[in-house]
Amino acid sequence: MILINCPYCGERDQSEFSNGGEAHVARPENSDSLNDKDWGQYVFYRDNPKGIFYERWVHSHGCRKWFNAVRNTATDEILKIYKVDEKTPKIDSFTNTLKTPSGEPKVGSGNFTVKK
Amino acid sequence: MWKSPRPKKTYDVIVVGGGGHGLGTAYYLAKEHGIKNIAVIEKGWLGGGNTGRNTTIIRSNYLWNESANLYDHSIKLWENLSQELNYNMMFSQRGVMNLAHNEHDIKEMKRRVSANRLNGLDTQWLETKEIKKLVPIMNTDNLRYPVLGAAFQPRGGVARHDAIAWGFAMRADEMGVDIIQNCEAQSIKTRSGKVEGVKTSKGFIRAKKVAVVASGHTSVLAKTAGVRLPLQSRPLQALVSEPIKPIINTVVMSNAVHAYVSQSDKGELVIGAGTDGYNSFTQRGGYDVIEETVRAIVELYPIFGKMKMLRQWGGIVDICPDASPIISKCEIKGLYFNCGWGTGGFKATPGSANVFAHTVANDEPHKINAPFNLERFSDGRLIDEHGAAAVAH
Amino acid sequence: MSALDNKKSSYIKKNKKVSFTFDGKKYYGYKGDTIASALLRNNVRLIARSFKYHRPRGIYTCGIEEPNAIVQILNEHNEPNARATVKQIYEGMKVDSQNRWPSLNLDIGSINNLLSPMFSAGFYYKTFMGPKGFWKKIYEPIIRRTAGLGKPPKEFRSKSIHQNHNVDIVIVGAGLSGLIAARKLIDTEYDVLLLEQDSFLGGVLKNSNKVEQINNQEVNKWIKETERLIKISTNIKILKNSLVTSYNFTNHLIALEDKFAGKAIDTSKSELTLHKIRTTHTILANGHIERFISFRNNDLPGVMLASSFEKYIHRYGVIPETNPVIFTNNSTTVTLLKSLVDLGHKPVAYVDARDKNKIGKKLLTYLKKNNIPFYFNAEIEGCDGNKKVETISIRKNKNKIIKVKSSMLCVSGGINPDIHLFTQSKGLVKWDDKLITFKPDVPFQNTITIGSVSGNYNYEKTHDEINNKLSFLKPKNIEMKIKINDTNNFNIKELWETRHEKKSNWSKSFIDLHNDVTTKDLKQAVVEGFDRIEHLKRFTTNSMGTDQGKISSINSLGIVSKILKKEISEVGTTTYRPPYAPLSFSAIAGRNTYEFYDPQRKTPIHNWHINNKAIFEDVGQWKRPWYFKEHDSETMHQAVQRESKQTRQTAGILDGSTLGKIEIKGKDALEFMNLMYTNPFTKMKPMTSRYALMLGEDGMIKDDGIVCKFNDKHFIATTTSGGAPKVLADMEEYLQTEWPHLQVYVNSITEQFTTFNISGPKSRDIMSKVFTEVDFSNENFPFMTFKVFNYKGTEARIMRASFTGELGYEIYITPNHGLELWKRIFHHGNVFDLVPYGTETMHLLRAEKGYVVIGQETDGTVTPIDLNFNWMIGKKKKDFIGKRSLTRSDTAREDRKQLVGIVPLDKSEFIEEGQHVVERERLPNPIKTPVEYLGHVSSSYHSPNLNHCIAMAMIKGGNKLMGKKLFISSSYGTKNIAVEVVSPVFIDPENKRLTS
Repeated sequence: MILINCPYCGERDQSEFSNGGEAHVARPENSDSLNDKDWGQYVFYRDNPKGIFYERWVHSHGCRKWFNAVRNTATDEILKIYKVDEKTPKIDSFTNTLKTPSGEPKVGSGNFTVKK
Repeated sequence: MWKSPRPKKTYDVIVVGGGGHGLGTAYYLAKEHGIKNIAVIEKGWLGGGNTGRNTTIIRSNYLWNESANLYDHSIKLWENLSQELNYNMMFSQRGVMNLAHNEHDIKEMKRRVSANRLNGLDTQWLETKEIKKLVPIMNTDNLRYPVLGAAFQPRGGVARHDAIAWGFAMRADEMGVDIIQNCEAQSIKTRSGKVEGVKTSKGFIRAKKVAVVASGHTSVLAKTAGVRLPLQSRPLQALVSEPIKPIINTVVMSNAVHAYVSQSDKGELVIGAGTDGYNSFTQRGGYDVIEETVRAIVELYPIFGKMKMLRQWGGIVDICPDASPIISKCEIKGLYFNCGWGTGGFKATPGSANVFAHTVANDEPHKINAPFNLERFSDGRLIDEHGAAAVAH
Repeated sequence: MSALDNKKSSYIKKNKKVSFTFDGKKYYGYKGDTIASALLRNNVRLIARSFKYHRPRGIYTCGIEEPNAIVQILNEHNEPNARATVKQIYEGMKVDSQNRWPSLNLDIGSINNLLSPMFSAGFYYKTFMGPKGFWKKIYEPIIRRTAGLGKPPKEFRSKSIHQNHNVDIVIVGAGLSGLIAARKLIDTEYDVLLLEQDSFLGGVLKNSNKVEQINNQEVNKWIKETERLIKISTNIKILKNSLVTSYNFTNHLIALEDKFAGKAIDTSKSELTLHKIRTTHTILANGHIERFISFRNNDLPGVMLASSFEKYIHRYGVIPETNPVIFTNNSTTVTLLKSLVDLGHKPVAYVDARDKNKIGKKLLTYLKKNNIPFYFNAEIEGCDGNKKVETISIRKNKNKIIKVKSSMLCVSGGINPDIHLFTQSKGLVKWDDKLITFKPDVPFQNTITIGSVSGNYNYEKTHDEINNKLSFLKPKNIEMKIKINDTNNFNIKELWETRHEKKSNWSKSFIDLHNDVTTKDLKQAVVEGFDRIEHLKRFTTNSMGTDQGKISSINSLGIVSKILKKEISEVGTTTYRPPYAPLSFSAIAGRNTYEFYDPQRKTPIHNWHINNKAIFEDVGQWKRPWYFKEHDSETMHQAVQRESKQTRQTAGILDGSTLGKIEIKGKDALEFMNLMYTNPFTKMKPMTSRYALMLGEDGMIKDDGIVCKFNDKHFIATTTSGGAPKVLADMEEYLQTEWPHLQVYVNSITEQFTTFNISGPKSRDIMSKVFTEVDFSNENFPFMTFKVFNYKGTEARIMRASFTGELGYEIYITPNHGLELWKRIFHHGNVFDLVPYGTETMHLLRAEKGYVVIGQETDGTVTPIDLNFNWMIGKKKKDFIGKRSLTRSDTAREDRKQLVGIVPLDKSEFIEEGQHVVERERLPNPIKTPVEYLGHVSSSYHSPNLNHCIAMAMIKGGNKLMGKKLFISSSYGTKNIAVEVVSPVFIDPENKRLTS
């Protein structure tokens, strides 16, 4: 279970929160001018990267506030949490410090280092 | 058994993903469509993804015609698969029961029973006393949400998950399919709207066609070819208990009291948990989900409180907005996807592989999988199985 | 040659004898004994029958790693699969062996052993297939009957509890290293939790005499002193009998505490406590587990791990056999040897696989001096005997085999750091060539390993290691002098299996004792082509038993790597899956079952409903009256017909308190409402209300309700009973994430108002009597308007609205006054024959009027247009949620499923809900090829006011099928019901009743 640091309440168990999927997807303002395909992209398509993911959370069993997070979906490490009105952190601030996913060794399925 | 060849320079078809669906695709491509120059490439080991991680429930009692056709096509293949592959699938048609816990459930399930009947499926409605006869240990009245009835499909059941991967792999291997493990697909190469091949951890492999069946990782690979898929990868967990002598002889699923259980031939209770609500590729979910499932099990079967959880694990499931899969071509010529099975792909393994092979071989969908295209997310012709598939697996 | 008490052991309090039964026979043990130690004390060696071959099995270990001695506890709800090596005895305990019939001694299932060539690895996959149907009817039922281990539990209702902890440091294991770490953290700034699986502290210090003295005191004294210091400290808490089973992400641990270890369970109390622990740092000090060596018949009762044998001597004070044979490939068995000699006994033989110089002069001299027959460079070929070890064959000098007699054989194949928890935490492990095992390498979380789990087998150096590893925590500096018994140079020779002669089918060399996997099975699987350790595990079921292969899984890697000619590190391990040891479902569930499974939400009128014979239905968490019985013998049908008829004739009242209510306020409330709902609210007059629809972005109907407009800055919206939380959450989401510029506040006021719906021709008369100050005349209180007034000092609202099609009012009142008002309404209503009605009558009445129910007529695939709700769509609005989706090619189709009414042509017939609309009069039975259908029946009732069945259906192109004859399938048979497609409004299409 991930521990999430709600910017309003502090660290709480993930089960207190709900995830809102990809962050920074703006609702189209002039939806009438979009074709079916482009509208479908907004309604049904969200990014699903393995690695750095900008996503939304809401403290649904707490303050009910929405906020954003940057999380490594390969390890579930939360790299940054920021409020909705705060500046979006740049992706290169995370790429250098990213832990490699463990649990995916070259051989076997247990997590171990291969002798060099 | 299968050989472990080095990859050739070029193939007619590369199947990405050595799970049941992928190996089955290669098998049917070779057997029914005469394509022999095929490779199946697998990042880890055959059947090590969701094929080896699911609770092996097989049923076809879906609400909509499109789904019923697809899943029943699969059951019919399951019924002959042991003989066809000369490998025991241990397909045990012990019946699958979906419990109703409120008036809304009853209405929804009775509708499903009726729809299934018109689709030629064997689903039937059971009253509580009939449920009690089939599963005497079930607590039907002394719980928060009493059991008010069930939809029951006798032809449903469970099968041995490893067997289908290994069975398809052996027979595909015999027909000349190259099965290459430890070979991670890193990106799909395209040129002017056509597929060229796959860059792998064992080098670039050229291919006329590429069929991606990589469950949780499908959208990651699709992105390398510039294709966007409406998928979200979520953790899904399952667990087994210690083995006991037979006590529950059918598969019981419940939505309101979120628990699915069957008993394996070894005697373990095989229990499916729910998905976590966030994207993750860790093959690991939250403990709270396990707790939620186990308390539902204890609620429905009080004596199981004395049982113990032996092992718990997670997989990565790729979920579609309408809870139905995508078995489809895309805007890149020669690139095909079979994905979005969410929490219930195992049951469809042979059926999905069969129609996907048809799609890849003919560059046209089989009539069974034609509705499971990508266009539905633009034109709105969804196959929304949330009602019926809320009880997934 | 038999068992003997170790008089020197301090553990057993000899004065406390405890009696228990095993397979019905009465035995005595001492308080603190496990079932295993007590049975060993009584010379009982045969404990169980094995999983597949039903071979006789005994006690192999002295702990959680036990693969064989697994028993059923009869007086604990028949609990299956309890580990005899862990479970403590108490007075009156009843224990049975498992997996045998008719008895442990004579087990028919053992025939499987003779048929074993058939049952080799993966035999299921390759056999029992044809002819078709045989698997289902013949093979599988037989296989299922023979499978399984214990018998199912009986009559149990779970009562375990959960406890949460938030600490700075968790120490797992209170052995030597765990206690040193704890002592160093006493009175530091950290909150520390020390977890110990046993009922006492000490671990290895209690299990052997490997450590002789600490700080010049006897070890037991040091343990006592340490425990005392921890107890009086302010920052460290000890939990005994608490086994850590799971190590999750972000340092979240699960530990199971047995509250009744060594005691009969008091069934009125919680027997298990599951601890959920969050910590900043985890110190793993959970030690090691010894592994075995495979040889011929290495499963016979009497074969035991050497360290376990040692544990029985020191910890439980029982010498299982005074003259055993010791077989080892490493240096850890020396203390066992010495313990025996010190107690005045000696082994029949000491067999060491290592060569002379590795064994060392010191040990060789000791063996010689004590006149113990010993063999180096030697191994055990196998052992024989009738259901127990009798003869042991020693292979010395490569080919020569000599036989010795003993009833027990102690074996040590080396020790493995217990890396289970460390790998669960996603830490990486690496292979150590000197220790010949995996040990922790890089942690993934804030995890520190100390002591033997870290691969440090030298107790003398434990303190230095801990000093080093915990220095970042700035712990206390304490003096430690650890004096150990014998050599501290761990050395080992790699040995996984000995060479053995084939004697008979009965002779087997096991790699997994629990699941009856032989080394031959494993090799055969490799030969067949399974070269991946995961495939081998699955094909052979190796290490998949309830012990998870704790004493054998590394051995299987050793054997496989040899055949594949690879390094063990190239073979890799399989994934260690939680839990560490089988974890009780009852403990996981905790108190969140039965009456606490889900909250029951009740309205303020609930008790009145009960007193008036209400039958309830569950709607979400709410308990809602479904119908009211006038008298006990009244059926549901009779009650609903009566309630419905009465409401249309005079008046009826429904407790609508469960209805979701959301208050929307703020400068931009109007704009917000226009975006959230399909309806236009701009021109709506203040103090009026409107039926409103909410869509998803996919254009499908999600919820409905009545929106009351006070003014442009203040609205109240009702939602469906089940949909309220979702609607509120959606509103918040859009406000916070899409339209943060809108100044709007939304709040749930569901619980702030008790709601009654009164309707029927007499409702105005009743309301006028109840609220004398309100003018209910049609001109002053028209349909779809509302009034706010003061009711006993609180704000109350009355809205003129109706879900029945009759003249009706909705009353919103503070819950404190709810019951009083409800009673007062009846006080005035009785003369008008006011009837209480439940949800079923509500559904019937609305169906007569053609009103839809979200979730019944809709299923997430229905647009407003499909329900002919075009009039509710604000077409001039630039935008609202879901608007764009309504014009997609599929949603704009004219032949979509549309809402229609349906009546049977033969008015005596009844249409069933959920049945389908077809064009054929009859259907075959069974149906072989799919039958085309137009749609389904979403609602169907017997209308007491029309005196026939009325139904609603969603059918393809329904709007164009008015007046058409169609058929409805039936669950009763092949003959369908002929129906006519009609308007779904069956009563008062002109809305006269509503508006007059």
